[in-house]
Amino acid sequence: MLLEIGIALLLAKLLGYAFEKIKQPAVIGEVLSGIIIGPFVIGKMFDMQYLSPETEGLAQVGIVLLLFMSGLEIGLEEIKTMGKNGLVTAIFGVIFSFFSGYIVGHIMGYDLVVSIAIGNIFVATSVGITVRTLMEMQVLNSKVGELIVTSAVLDDVIGIIILSFTLGQGNPYTLGAKMCIFFASFMILLFLIHKIGKVKLHIPRFGLTVAIAFAFIFSALAKGLGLATIVGAFFAGLVLSNLPQRRRMIGFTRQIGNIFFIPLFFVWVGASFDFHALEDLGILVLLFIPMALAGKIIGCSLGAKISKFKGRDALAVGIGMMPRMEIALVIVSTEVAREIFAEPLAHQIMAGTILLVIVSSLLTPVLLKMVYRKEGK
Amino acid sequence: MNLKELHEKKIKDLLDKIQILNLPLLEREANIEEVFSVLTSRDHVWITDEKNGKKLVGIITESDVLHSLAPQRLPKYVFSKRHGISLQHGTVKTAGDIMHKRLITCSPTDSVGEILRIMINSGLRRLPVIENEEIVGEVTIHHILQIVLGKR
Repeated sequence: MLLEIGIALLLAKLLGYAFEKIKQPAVIGEVLSGIIIGPFVIGKMFDMQYLSPETEGLAQVGIVLLLFMSGLEIGLEEIKTMGKNGLVTAIFGVIFSFFSGYIVGHIMGYDLVVSIAIGNIFVATSVGITVRTLMEMQVLNSKVGELIVTSAVLDDVIGIIILSFTLGQGNPYTLGAKMCIFFASFMILLFLIHKIGKVKLHIPRFGLTVAIAFAFIFSALAKGLGLATIVGAFFAGLVLSNLPQRRRMIGFTRQIGNIFFIPLFFVWVGASFDFHALEDLGILVLLFIPMALAGKIIGCSLGAKISKFKGRDALAVGIGMMPRMEIALVIVSTEVAREIFAEPLAHQIMAGTILLVIVSSLLTPVLLKMVYRKEGK
Repeated sequence: MNLKELHEKKIKDLLDKIQILNLPLLEREANIEEVFSVLTSRDHVWITDEKNGKKLVGIITESDVLHSLAPQRLPKYVFSKRHGISLQHGTVKTAGDIMHKRLITCSPTDSVGEILRIMINSGLRRLPVIENEEIVGEVTIHHILQIVLGKR
């Protein structure tokens, strides 16, 4: 296990760096290094076992840190002050992409739970690549750029709330009760934090450990209540985002996450990629990827249109909201771990999501540039 | 000066009129160029909610300016709104765009010992002194050194 982790970290760093050099997200490089170290390439050649309960545990920690960081970065105050346009665009994007996922499941003849699970994967946008492209084209400082950044933040929040409803286990009534308990504890904590913020509390290093511990305890609470771990980690981040020590907590979480745990999560995702899944992936992928992309383009363009954006600008918003990355991979691995998909399907959905991540981030810059070039004429 | 004596001193004893008149203050809506011009000679500038107002809403330090001037580098994971803030890309216009919003503050009744602890624990080099939600002064390492040397 030790050697595997060492090699995985090195490979992830190298490929991540290489991908950043060619202006693609480092995450893709890290997933690819997982595929390389996994059971079908290096694993096969050198009899190396990357997938083990230990590496899965490390990946789990990575997920908690990633979502905790998201919550901290997004911040409650920022959500409260977001404009109507961002909200409309985010909601339309979420609804359309969720249902396009659901429809994929329906066409393929999967049952309700599976179809909803596919819908969940389609919801969360990751606009890093879009922002990079807009920066290159010198249009980040435009109404389009602003709307994309705002609604991308909101759609993570909405996506995770949907997830807590749809991934919950048990009958609707007990689930409803559990959700109430979770959100009540969220509100109580928020109130307490507000009170603490009034009293002078100064967090030395000791406090940073407490913050991370809090993320894990909240994740455990969410899991114990039958919601997903990631819901807990994300809301823990939101709760703590109101403290003045927010920047320090973000810095600390980024440090331990980025150096060690989060790359190991993406490596783990790559290592679980099963080449056998590719054999009869055809029809699924033909539906899966186009529907995921179309859902966001149509939904967000429509949202932008309602917010009085011109045709081309609205289209640019839709395309800009298309890429999926970290959160989609977190959601799919959570669902696979929950055994929502029966066996061959689990690997296919995993592979489909990895391909979706790659295709969407290759396609977004190209399409965005096309839209803007046409507009220039 | 005896350090123990220094630690027990109250903040209100350190504040003087000249310092208060000299506070680097700008309002939230101030143009970014105004911020830069204050920072050519100061380490930081306190941001208030309105022109000539005293209600503190943020601070801009040298390091914030450094970040807004440097070529933008997006983080590997979890892009957030603040990463898109860059002078180069026109997303920085006013002081409010780059200021830190949640501030750690102290009050005139705190002792120097307490606020030195706060500064170390929070990695800060300056604290605003707040009374009735208004900024009434600041404590920086410069001020404390002046007192240590008996220049104040």
